[in-house]
Amino acid sequence: MAPRLSTARTAAAVLVGRAVRVAARLRGGGSAIPGNIALKIDPGFLERTIARIPDGVVAVSGSNGKSTTTNMLAAIMRRHGLKVFTNPSGGNLPQGIASALLSEVSTGGRLDSDIAILEVDEGYGTKLAELLKPRTVLLLNIQIDQLNRYHEPDRVAAMLGRVAASSTEGLILNREDNFLVDLDTRIPGRPGRAVSFFGGVPSLVEPAGHGVASADRFEESAAAPGSRPATVEVIALDGPRATLSIELPGQDARTEITVKLPSRGLHYALDAAGAAATALSVLGDRFRPELVTEALDTLETVYGRGELLVVDGEQIEIIMMKNPASLQLNLDSLESAPEQVFLAVDEGTPDPSWIYDIDFSALDHVDGITGSKAWQFAVRFGYLGIPVGEVELDVRRALKAFLALPAPATGHKVMILNYEQMMLIRKILGFKELEGGGVA
Amino acid sequence: MNAKALQILHLFPRLLELNGESGNVEILRLRSEWRGLPVEVTTYDGGSTDGFDDADLVFIGSGPVSAELIAHPLVTAIAPALRELAADGRPFLAVGAGFQLLGQTVTLENGDVLEGAGVFPVTTRHGGTRVVGDFVVESPRLGPVVGFENRGSFVDVGPHTTLGRVVYGRGNTETPGEEGFWEDNLLGTHMHGPILANNPGLADSLLDTARARRGLAYVDAAPESLHAIDERARQARGTIAATPLSE
Ligand SMILES: [Zn+2]
Repeated sequence: MAPRLSTARTAAAVLVGRAVRVAARLRGGGSAIPGNIALKIDPGFLERTIARIPDGVVAVSGSNGKSTTTNMLAAIMRRHGLKVFTNPSGGNLPQGIASALLSEVSTGGRLDSDIAILEVDEGYGTKLAELLKPRTVLLLNIQIDQLNRYHEPDRVAAMLGRVAASSTEGLILNREDNFLVDLDTRIPGRPGRAVSFFGGVPSLVEPAGHGVASADRFEESAAAPGSRPATVEVIALDGPRATLSIELPGQDARTEITVKLPSRGLHYALDAAGAAATALSVLGDRFRPELVTEALDTLETVYGRGELLVVDGEQIEIIMMKNPASLQLNLDSLESAPEQVFLAVDEGTPDPSWIYDIDFSALDHVDGITGSKAWQFAVRFGYLGIPVGEVELDVRRALKAFLALPAPATGHKVMILNYEQMMLIRKILGFKELEGGGVA
Repeated sequence: MNAKALQILHLFPRLLELNGESGNVEILRLRSEWRGLPVEVTTYDGGSTDGFDDADLVFIGSGPVSAELIAHPLVTAIAPALRELAADGRPFLAVGAGFQLLGQTVTLENGDVLEGAGVFPVTTRHGGTRVVGDFVVESPRLGPVVGFENRGSFVDVGPHTTLGRVVYGRGNTETPGEEGFWEDNLLGTHMHGPILANNPGLADSLLDTARARRGLAYVDAAPESLHAIDERARQARGTIAATPLSE
């Protein structure tokens, strides 16, 4: 394709995409549409724009914690003085990334950024790896939530293996994950690629309730989870703060820093360790541990996890039920059984069979259940002997009844929601939508 | 072992347990215990088959192909013991990969053929388009049976009786027709996950077969606790059957 034509096409893609983006925002609609249209007008738009970013692309993928970790890593890089391009939480498919680009590029398709830190959907990982050519890849975990979409953990592992294999300079892996602990030995090696690991000390990882909830693996593995030396290791947890021990190049003693987490929980600490290990891998000698602490201190709570909504002066804690692993970890991090609990799950969770693998002992009752999967949850709670107040498939009516309950003595109500219901309920309650808002 | 308890044998819970399938065993146990008949669950992950003869009911679940390949020699090793239990009228519930391995053969995508345990007179062929979505089957014995289908294989059950006719989803064959296998004491299906949660009638049927063989009775056949759950399950079936969805 002639360069001039390509430039004209990029401009058209950017302009049309932007117009659609504005229109979509006014309607309060989905974020991926503008990117979709831009990609149709100029299929090479994403690839070409990304290829011009001087320090290249860092891809963050895995089943769980992508948004949190991408957010952390972007903040750490910014604190080190880099201009960062990143995609908003959830916008991790090609269209979503193209949409994010649209808001930042010049009409000529230039992006004023030093580095791109991109959350990548594992299902599109292979395709995105070809498009994005990441220099560095950070893989967080392989958990069982993906069965509906990708059917088998082995398949997800194979997809993430291809993403890992595309990294040219750095590959950072979670050594506590059954599938990732030896992934580097199962992909073709590459001269110049540095492999490093992050993890937690056994005293934290082993008793962590349901641990790091990694999917079971049945084939032979070259290394047991936890067995690889970690450049960044979680060594202590204290509420929403974690201590990380970091092995800096050329230093005998490890450096310890304390960081703030979005909320309590080992999984957040591991996300922070992964972000720090990736920053270290990318920055090398330029990496400053104290800037990790500063960056994470200023980070706002990631949308939708442990988030507090205030409705009519009353606080409502949102627990996102993105997948079994995240639900389990969030249930485990509850300090006591919530006094008022509401649950909403719809077809965004097509097959909630896994609720029979979840330990719901953190709940002693549920006040209301709504969404099209409500009755399946009600059956589960029946067999668990967990009393259920009301099952009401009409979300608005169910929500109204729950909000009408008297203010709990503990100070806040709890809602356990899948992503789709979270978006819907925010809308009903009058909060702005995630789309177009982005993070950080 | 409590001689007055119903004995459930759960095969390969470590290898074959996809998406909450052990919920089936929990549901069988609770439905019996709440009616006053105690249950003991024995899990088997390999080794000696001593004690198999005590089993009143056998459950085997599903798993990814990688797990099925690892489970295959383990299943072959206990095939004679399983065929004896089946011939003796002990009810089996076999799901997905477990159902395939208890059949006669499993033909893999690369053409390799695994010899099954020969408990079910069925053969499986891997391949074709994978189907993932809600699954609605009309059972002549129970009415609507509702759950979730996730499979990349076809099952040939020959002239035998099935769980029922497919109303939504694919079932055994490329053209939707029938689902699974259900004859006498043997029930096999690709309705995966905790199939008994939405379909308590299936659970009770398996328990009745097991109890009849042993002459074990319930103290209270219809406790209020089960009545409430079964009403919820009926609502769950109704919700899924009203607007089934698939990928
Ligand atoms: Zn309450």
